[in-house]
Order: sequence, then C-alpha cells, then structure tokens
Amino acid sequence: MSTRGVETDEQQRIRFQVELEFVQCFANPNYLHFLAQRGYFKDPAFVNYIKYLQYWKEPAYAKYLKYPMCLHFLDLLQYEHFRKEIVNGQCARFIDDQQILHWQHYTRKRVKLLQSQAEKHMMTLQNEPTPQKSV
Amino acid sequence: MTSHKSTREVLLTCIDDIEIIAKELLDNLIAQKQQKPVSAEHSQLVELVLQKDTELKATLKLAEEQGALQQKVVALETEVERHDIEIRNLQKQLKEAEQLLATAIFQAKQKLQAIDKANSRPVNSEELIKFAHRISASNAVCAPLNWQQGDLRRPYPTDIEMRLGFLGRLGEMNVNGHMSFPELLHRPNHSMQQGSSVPNSQAGTYSWLSQNDLQMPGLSVSHLGVGGGMDHKTPKKENEDVDVMSTDSSSSSSSDSQ
Repeated sequence: MSTRGVETDEQQRIRFQVELEFVQCFANPNYLHFLAQRGYFKDPAFVNYIKYLQYWKEPAYAKYLKYPMCLHFLDLLQYEHFRKEIVNGQCARFIDDQQILHWQHYTRKRVKLLQSQAEKHMMTLQNEPTPQKSV
Repeated sequence: MTSHKSTREVLLTCIDDIEIIAKELLDNLIAQKQQKPVSAEHSQLVELVLQKDTELKATLKLAEEQGALQQKVVALETEVERHDIEIRNLQKQLKEAEQLLATAIFQAKQKLQAIDKANSRPVNSEELIKFAHRISASNAVCAPLNWQQGDLRRPYPTDIEMRLGFLGRLGEMNVNGHMSFPELLHRPNHSMQQGSSVPNSQAGTYSWLSQNDLQMPGLSVSHLGVGGGMDHKTPKKENEDVDVMSTDSSSSSSSDSQ
C-alpha cells in the first residue's frame, strides 16, 4: 500500500512529533491565513491530510496537546467554505481578535470572582467592630 | 300523547273551566227567575261542575305527588353536586401528583443517561489532572493575569515558537543541507539518542513536548500506518511553510537562513 514500506519506530516517533506540532499550528489564525494564501488548501492531497489529522481528537492523542484550540480549527478546516474564507485577511484578523478576547474571558471571570470574595471579606471585617463601638 | 301540559296548566284550565260553568249555572239560575226553568241544561251544567271538581281534586293530588318527587330530585341533585366536587378535587390532586412524578422520572432518566455516558468513556483522573495542568500552566487557554495590549504572548503558538520547534528545525536542516526527507529521518537519530530528551525542551518556555511524550504509550498502529502513503508529499510542504512563514501575510522570506 505505501511506497516506502513499514516505518521504523524512530520514524514513527518523529512523525508523531511532527504531526503534533503541525496540528497545533492550526491554532494560529495567521498561520492558517498564510497557508490559504499560498494555495495549500486547494491541493486535494493537503485536504486529505487535514482530514487524516482528525485522529488528534481522540482522547489517547488529545492528551498530548498543549493548545487545544487547534482542534476547533481542525474541525473548521474540514469545511471548504472556511478554507475559502480564511484567504481573506480581515477574516484572519477577526478570528485572532475573538480568540484573544475569549482567552481573556476566564481570567476576567476569575478576577471578578476574587474581587467579590475580597469585598465580602471586607464587609465582614467592618461589621465585627461595630458592636464594641456602640458600648 | 304528544302534547304534555304541565300540571300547573292543567290545574289552571280546570279552574277556568269550573269558573265558566259556575258562571253559566248562575246565569241559568238568574234566568230561571225570569223565564221558564230549563232543568235539563241545568242538571247537565251541575254534572259538568261536579266532573270538573273531581278532575281538579285528582290534579291537585297529582300536584302533591309531583311536589314530593321534586323535593327528592333536589336532594339528589345536591348529592350529585357534592360528589362532583369531590371528584374534581381528586382529579386535581392526581394531576399534580402526575406532574411531580413525571418531573422526578425525567430527572432520574437524565441522571441515568449521565451515568451511562460517564461509564462508557472512563478517564483516568490522574490523566485529566495532567492534561488540565498542561493546558493551563503555559497560559494556553487562560490569559496571564498581567496581560496587556501589546504583550506578545498568544493563545496559540506564535511564529517564533514554531521556528524553535521540531518542525522548524527540520525545515532548517532541509534548506541548509538540501537533504531529502528520508535522510532527515535518520539524521535526528543522533540528537534523539541523548537519553530520549527532545533538544527543544531545553528551550524552556517554548517546549511543546515533555520527556514523557516520546514514550507514546499504547498508540494504535493503524493511525501510524495510514499516513504512510501521504507523508511522502506533505512533509516537504511543511518544511517550506516554516521557512517562509511570518505572522503577516507579506511574502518576504524569514530570517532563518541569514
């Protein structure tokens, strides 16, 4: 089936690293834009490769990912419409902005939570000394 | 008998009839004083009066009986009304109970579904924690607390990081040495033999793979086999990508070779 024959263990390890890094590069919308502009998404072999890379969604492989956002982009890349749209620079910038805002979302939520906790703590501290003052 | 007169009407017509006959009688009696007595008509009228009288009495009796029946009917109707109210109350309570039970069953079903789902794909809690640490510690999914506009850190690998990665250095070696991919597969062997640690892990914050990753426990061979036919063409492209890539869409080549 394959023209190169069976891969050795070493080759398999290298291919694992290579594909791990490559699939995580999809998390970068600028890189996707770069690929689109150079016409890689029009190559059927490349489109097949993207389809093949979906194995990273399985838990056994996904646990090695550091940037899990790449899986979402991997899904989006399966659609031809998205592959066509990402050629547009505005699209890439919009996605980048939204990604960064989303990235900050959890931080903001956590900061708000900590602030409200701190305020509650301050209130309880203020309420304690008043019974003594009234005497 | 198609026309049923009500008892009241029968009574009233009876009374009217008696009134008329009585008037006739009295007229006759008055006329008797002035003219010759007409005794045949007179006796007929008297008979008629008597007949009407008996009719009246019978109808009155009937009316009494009907009155008694009517009272019974009213009593029964109140009974029926009472039972009706009780039944409606029961119906309301049953409906409420049914609703409560339906919600309870629905929630129980959902819980069962959740349990089934959890049991079908169990995940080791240690692995979960490891994964959670991996994606959070490097600020890959959550922005660092001191992040401001203009900070270069991003939720995805930036082009600098990409170049410092394994893929980037593979590309470098391809450009500089003009080697084909199969040879490259053998070349990194020498660097890899250093106690199974990836060289770029020494780059500190830019490392993507920890030492544990290279052991690849329990990965199915089918995936590794499928890609064999396609790798021949695509890795060359990957190398090209990394050479010329930049975060802007300009087509200037990168400064790797400089």
